[in-house]
Amino acid sequence: MSMIIVWALSWWYSAGWKARVVSLRERLAASYDYFSIDLLLRTLFSPFRQISAGKVSGPIGLQLRAFVDRLISRIIGSIVRIILIFVGAVWLALQALIGALLLVIWPLLPFAPLVGFIMMLSGWVPVWM
Amino acid sequence: MDVTFEYTHPRIAKSRIGKLLTGLNERLLIVLILVFSVSGIALIVLGVPIGWLMLGLAAWPYGIVAWFRGELKRVPVETSPRSIAGVLDSDIASCLPKNPSPKDIASAVMQTQAGLFYAVRFGITPNFLLEIASPEQSHTTEVWDDTLELFEELDQGSVTAGMLIYAIIKQFPEHAALLAHNHLELDDLKQGIVWQLHLGMLVEKHSAPGRTGGIGRDWSFGYTPLLNRFGQNISQQIAAGGLLNVELESHKDSLDQLIDTFSSEGRQNAVLVGETGVGKTTVVHAFAERLLDASSKLPGSLKFRQVVMLDSAALLSAAPGKGELEDLIMRIFSEAFSAKNIILCLDDAQLFFEEGIGSVDLANVLQPIIDAGRLRLILTMDEQRFLQISRRNPSLVNSLNRVSIKPSSKDDTLRVMQDQLIVNEFKRKVTYTYQSLQESYKLSERYVHDLAMPGRALKLLESAAGYAENGLVTMNSVQKAIEQTLGVKIAVASETTERETLLNLEDKIHERMINQVRAVGVVSDALRRARAGVRNQNRPIGTFLFLGPTGVGKTELAKALADVYFGGEDRMIRLDLNEYVRNEDVARLIADGADDPSSLTAQAMKQPFSVVLLDEIEKAHPNVLTTLLQLLDEGILRDVKNREVSFRDAVVIATSNAGADRIREYIDRGYKMEQFEDQLVDELINSGQFRPEFLNRFDEIVTFKPLDKPELMQVIDLIIAGTNKTLASQKITVAVDQAAKEILVERGYDPRLGARPMRRIVQRVVENHIAKAILSGSVNPGATITITSTQVEETLGKNDKAAAIEQESGYTADSASD
Repeated sequence: MSMIIVWALSWWYSAGWKARVVSLRERLAASYDYFSIDLLLRTLFSPFRQISAGKVSGPIGLQLRAFVDRLISRIIGSIVRIILIFVGAVWLALQALIGALLLVIWPLLPFAPLVGFIMMLSGWVPVWM
Repeated sequence: MDVTFEYTHPRIAKSRIGKLLTGLNERLLIVLILVFSVSGIALIVLGVPIGWLMLGLAAWPYGIVAWFRGELKRVPVETSPRSIAGVLDSDIASCLPKNPSPKDIASAVMQTQAGLFYAVRFGITPNFLLEIASPEQSHTTEVWDDTLELFEELDQGSVTAGMLIYAIIKQFPEHAALLAHNHLELDDLKQGIVWQLHLGMLVEKHSAPGRTGGIGRDWSFGYTPLLNRFGQNISQQIAAGGLLNVELESHKDSLDQLIDTFSSEGRQNAVLVGETGVGKTTVVHAFAERLLDASSKLPGSLKFRQVVMLDSAALLSAAPGKGELEDLIMRIFSEAFSAKNIILCLDDAQLFFEEGIGSVDLANVLQPIIDAGRLRLILTMDEQRFLQISRRNPSLVNSLNRVSIKPSSKDDTLRVMQDQLIVNEFKRKVTYTYQSLQESYKLSERYVHDLAMPGRALKLLESAAGYAENGLVTMNSVQKAIEQTLGVKIAVASETTERETLLNLEDKIHERMINQVRAVGVVSDALRRARAGVRNQNRPIGTFLFLGPTGVGKTELAKALADVYFGGEDRMIRLDLNEYVRNEDVARLIADGADDPSSLTAQAMKQPFSVVLLDEIEKAHPNVLTTLLQLLDEGILRDVKNREVSFRDAVVIATSNAGADRIREYIDRGYKMEQFEDQLVDELINSGQFRPEFLNRFDEIVTFKPLDKPELMQVIDLIIAGTNKTLASQKITVAVDQAAKEILVERGYDPRLGARPMRRIVQRVVENHIAKAILSGSVNPGATITITSTQVEETLGKNDKAAAIEQESGYTADSASD
């Protein structure tokens, strides 16, 4: 039995802990891929969905109008992208924070019953209004 | 590496703990976690401090579950293993006792998923393995030794159930015979190990989340409503996990070439050229998958680009008029170009370059676009059509970057089948055995001509699903699929009726042929060899040269064989080689079935299981004979399209009248056939009628002797029997008395023309007589008409033999030959 506990704890503090790190890294990479922040940054001012993106030849008035259209398309594109970059960055930060917190808690988990026991003895419970 | 099984080794002990926690116990632990956490939180909320303890206690079952999932479920192999315990798969290790015998190992192996895999795919059932595994513990070392040897050879990371099955079977002294019973060899078991691990890897790969660019990927690119309507977005399908793609070794070069083409500054187009079934569309799919993979090393201008396949049928139905279609195509192309992330694919692109049913020539519209090379375009085209289009429109072909796709090798084809069967199994609710894959490759290579590998093997594999027995697609299912579609017989004769036919083949042939015992014997022997599975599979069933005068039964034997064994006289491909006397006739012999359905290759493609009768072979042009050499030697003939046409399920019979006079001369001088056959062949070679290398290609040269009068009497009986068969529907029977028969033989016999004039004389006499009797109303149904000598003489006239023969000879020379 003691050997089983030794094996379990040695896994917990080596491969188990490392697996948590890998898992967090993969989750962050998947989120990063989902929000594709680098891609959004690279194309920040590209016309949105290629709307009014084509070159227009003709009188100056027409060209000016096309330029304005393109400008609007670029502005819309950049606004949508900035929003997504912001949401993505917040999401990634939250995920990283929670993940890091769990990584810190991980080595303490085997002692959780002991902590619970001490807390029970202390008799403290949160008071709800 | 130490081959002792250490029962107390930490890996083995952990495997046992893992086994203990599997299934119900894991679920129980999860319930405990939930109970502790929920009740703990609830108590804390209610202000009861014991809730802290409950919540804390939830951490222990959680820890156990995490340990089980992270390590115990599949205990990782050691990085530097010193014994078998360090590399043995944990699902097997957990089932082994302290000192396992080979039988214990077999029992453990068959409890695993891999054991089930071998039972289903290879037919190596638990009972089979337990039966052959030794119960002696002293034999275990040998099993471990063989397993480790294979482990090092295959380098697959761990010792798997397949490796142990291999070692246990190898230990059995009679393993070769035992495996042969299942149509397997030891090497096939090795293939199985790789296959099983590969399937596991595929499932893992499929379930792993892909990195395909994310939510903002396509925001810089344009909308494509028209393309969405008329095209099929392959990239989208791959990203959604709907396409299972196999990247083949034989396609690797083509794929790299395709990527190079689109990465370079040159014309942004490629035409994939290859035979139908070679996998052109698969290459396009593999290309689309490569572009979607965020981890692949590709230039930014290619990454995440979408491959859209245009649906020609949808286009043609939406815009039936040529002008409308051109307009639609232009709008689609313009949309694809403006979107900036589209690579268009025109599958079966010949449909856009030629006029026909379901195709329209848009070369005028497409040519400038292809020339400009700015729109990314992939065309796929059949090799033959590509050549035709390049002949018609060389400038178009010059504007395209050609990528040739070669047919896959045997190993690659088997890999594709192994991967593809997952889809088939899911769709058709069947399971394929390993033997069925091997058989599909072998039979499709021989019988399926209109597709290249791997398409032809996949096609057969798919159709075999329709012949599954109890949900299992076996070798038999594949054989049945081919037998039903082509009418060939592949399986070793097992049906009682067929066995009977084979064993009594001579008697059955003699029911319609008189004498020629030797000829009938050699042909029958060849068929029996073939159907017992002991013949050379890379040659025709039998190749025979029949020599002899006309009217002695050479053609009749070929017909009898087609009828008795191959299932009907229409199972005979007959070529009169006196129509192939010029050099140019070689092309006619091997013409494409679409141009000339009567060519030898076209007929053999349609009907590979048949008698091929090459009549009057001595009259053929020498180049025609040279072409036929390969057929006789290897059972293969290449047609004009360079497709291999198999004659390996045919009996090839060549007939010749050459040397007929000499045969008659020898017989008249009292020689027996066996005494002069060799000499006759020498004479034929010396006189330049046949080349020795041609005659050597035949399994047997059979001399037919002229029929004598007693034999002709039997021929008359056969002819009368034939007439009675015809009259059976009118319920009338005809009989000829002995004296009449003798007159018929006397009048019909001619040493030069054999039995043929006699057949006509008999028919004339008998049929005339019956016709008159029926018309005059003198016979009623159920009556028997007996023809007497007087009636024969009345019809033919007394001593009218010379005239009769003369008349028949004229007829024969004009229109018939043996």
